[in-house]
Amino acid sequence: MIESLVVLAEETANSATVVNEFEQTLLRIFILIIMFGLGAGLTPKDFGLAIRRPWGLVIGWVTQFGIMPLTAFLLVVAVLLPFTEGPGVAFIALGALIMGSVPAGTTSNLFTYFSKGNLALSVTMTVNSTLWAFVMTPLMLWIYSNLLDFDESVSIEFGELAIVIVGLVIPVALGMLVRRLSANAGAVLELVGGVFGVLFIPFLIAIWVPRNWQLLLSTEWPTYVVAIGLGIVGISIAYAIAKAIRLHPMNVRTIALETGIQNGPLAIAVIVAVYIDSPGLDQILLIPALYSLFIVIISTLVTFWFRRANVAEEQKIPNLL
Amino acid sequence: MMTERPWLAHYPSDVEHELKKPPFDHLSALVSAASAQWGKKIAFTQVMPNGMNGSLTYAQVESLSDDFAAYLREELGLAQGDRVAVQMPNCLAYPIVAFGVFKAGCVLVNTNPLYTPSEMVHQFSDSGATALVIIDMFADRLPEVLGKTQIKHVVTVRISEYFSPVVHGVIRSVQKVWSRSLPKITVKHTPFRAAMAAGRKKANASAAAKYLQGMGPDSLAALQYTGGTTGVSKGAMLSHGNLVSNTGQLLSFVGNFLRPGVEVVITALPLYHIFAFTVNLLAFYQRGGRNLLIPSPRPPSNLKRAFENYKVTWVTGVNTLFNALMNERWFSESPPKHLRYSAAGGMALQSSVAERWRAMTKTEIVEGYGLTETSPVLAFNPFGGLHKDGTLGVPVPSTDVQLLDDAGKPVAVGEPGELVCKGPQVMLGYWNKEAETQAAMAGGWFHTGDIAQMDADGYFTIVDRKKDMILVSGFNVYPNEVEEQIAAVPGVLEVGVVGVPDDKSGEAVRAYIVASHPVPTTESVIAQCREHLSAYKVPSRIVFVDELPKSPIGKILRRQLRDQAMAESTTTKGA
Repeated sequence: MIESLVVLAEETANSATVVNEFEQTLLRIFILIIMFGLGAGLTPKDFGLAIRRPWGLVIGWVTQFGIMPLTAFLLVVAVLLPFTEGPGVAFIALGALIMGSVPAGTTSNLFTYFSKGNLALSVTMTVNSTLWAFVMTPLMLWIYSNLLDFDESVSIEFGELAIVIVGLVIPVALGMLVRRLSANAGAVLELVGGVFGVLFIPFLIAIWVPRNWQLLLSTEWPTYVVAIGLGIVGISIAYAIAKAIRLHPMNVRTIALETGIQNGPLAIAVIVAVYIDSPGLDQILLIPALYSLFIVIISTLVTFWFRRANVAEEQKIPNLL
Repeated sequence: MMTERPWLAHYPSDVEHELKKPPFDHLSALVSAASAQWGKKIAFTQVMPNGMNGSLTYAQVESLSDDFAAYLREELGLAQGDRVAVQMPNCLAYPIVAFGVFKAGCVLVNTNPLYTPSEMVHQFSDSGATALVIIDMFADRLPEVLGKTQIKHVVTVRISEYFSPVVHGVIRSVQKVWSRSLPKITVKHTPFRAAMAAGRKKANASAAAKYLQGMGPDSLAALQYTGGTTGVSKGAMLSHGNLVSNTGQLLSFVGNFLRPGVEVVITALPLYHIFAFTVNLLAFYQRGGRNLLIPSPRPPSNLKRAFENYKVTWVTGVNTLFNALMNERWFSESPPKHLRYSAAGGMALQSSVAERWRAMTKTEIVEGYGLTETSPVLAFNPFGGLHKDGTLGVPVPSTDVQLLDDAGKPVAVGEPGELVCKGPQVMLGYWNKEAETQAAMAGGWFHTGDIAQMDADGYFTIVDRKKDMILVSGFNVYPNEVEEQIAAVPGVLEVGVVGVPDDKSGEAVRAYIVASHPVPTTESVIAQCREHLSAYKVPSRIVFVDELPKSPIGKILRRQLRDQAMAESTTTKGA
């Protein structure tokens, strides 16, 4: 059974070459620029603050590393595993877990801005969860993959995973250094990083989707449910919690988006780096890629809904310029 | 009659009681002396919300403002005393243009960039300005304005003048593509860069010397418009002597608390306002400080990068700004480490705000007082001497202050009276408004329209604006006092108190509150007032609103609030 699974996976990988050399290089450049830009927005004191955050950010931390991995796990257990008939489901599940365990993405800041949320809080939360990811992402993966009890073909390379994630520290640190040397260069890098974060989606649509069209067509519905559900459930639960503890509506919207929007490019880059030689690479990538596509649509809809929400009770900030 | 000055006993020992003759005949000399002294140091750094920035050294400011003066005189053919309107937010071009106007012997007419076309028409035609230097973002209002004024020359400034080319390019593209804040300019205009190039070609020292021929301390330097809060806007005529003296008074009084050549000051208030103009632009320039120019302090997160990227040692601001900063998480969680002092003015500094600021930043904040008509500084709490919280301190050197009752007689110590003053910083008068000038200068004293009290030590406390006083059943209620109490209620972000006509009591006290989260209850606000105020001062109505009408520097505009309140009462009655 396992043998046939591996063979099948290899065949799929060979026929489609899920991620080719060119795309890998491009992906690395993307993630490098995005992390560089993130670093350029940081100062050393942000690290200190990340460790002693007050209430509002604790909520963010809990939702980010509590809700999202758990949601991914539950969706896998409740939908993906029971209803998927084809092979390679364990790889797909692994992709879902990774997607759930990575930190928040910079795109969340953009959507927070458009949904009249608290941009400062959004940025701080993104930074905070990214810094914590170095510890929390491998930890969450370890917990939930043990619960899923994968067979040995789906080994999680914690060592490599750790190296890749720590490797991301380098562009972040460089970004910080650049900002320290020149605030101007830092600000430009930060802007460029943000733009690349947004460009990632068209990049995905233009390059990855057409070449993997067959794969997407043959993908079974439970995979789609997990990829789409992860964002929707994450946003909903975080929204409910933030509202229940009576945070300011502006902050409720921010925390909801911040939680639901994961760092898709980061998840994909990590997977490609760690599992490039794995026969299940295409299956592992399925959910992160689909999630990245659908989260844009979900966030856009949520943003429209948020903008319609009553903002009368909130203070408007008059814009001087 | 020599007035008593009980406050002199509390001057720090190094502060002279009388300012010696101002060291400069005009602002041009002040600027050039400072430029020569501090040459290679950075004078101005403009910090955008995302941290992008540009800087000018003292030497650059000196030579560039020479060029701009030459442009005004040689290229445009302006003459001594011609008015030049300047309408831009805080940016690197501002000091070049303002100093250039002074060096050209022309008169600066500071104009709020957010003015509506009708306000622009009033200010330009009243001042008779013939040239206008305007930020390009707002130049689309000009077609309907120019025809109704004497303006012949328009120079357009970009927000990123003197930024490095790449950064400038990025800012321009963002403005064009993203924020779409660059309207098409349909009137004839000269881009600032072209004006500077033309000025540079024609600049020469011997010609420049003649620009100021015959000018002295009494010559007009600026028309600073004021009175928007009380009625029609009037131009306060500030002379070179007024501004040079006031800078000197301020520096002498602050002494070495403003250390020469090392201070870094946040200039978040607009330079077109007299507070930032004299305190930040002139005084810090003379002392070799570095001004961090913030184009727009709203939202307050726009100041984050300035605080992160520079070792800020001073902050000048108004109550609203200090309050807003402390409500920012990034600020409260890591208050500026290098901060030494903060100076508040422009409006009453609420004690709750002052106390929170001291606790949060562990540094001193002192309140000063002044008006546009007094260049503006009249009084300040001495940094080194006895500092009395809640007061605006003592008059600065060479300044006489009295409190008069309605009959024009001085009141006893502790009694409220209208604050009148005399000093080298008091304006020449209102531009083309003889009657108003006469009224304001009655008896040779400038009448501020503010009601104040003086204690035995000579420290003054502003009770309120004479015009804002509320008369409840014959009792005086001063909005400041009520606002002070309400501001201390948790959850109150901002508050404005006004009087509205009332059938029973003549006028009734009404409070408008902008709440943060959680929203305070009306009961908690009333309870706080009951505890600390006499019954007649307690608001009869509390109204929660999204925002309060504010002046460009963030002063709450009570007159507009009152109009709003009147409109509401009529609608309620009609309903």
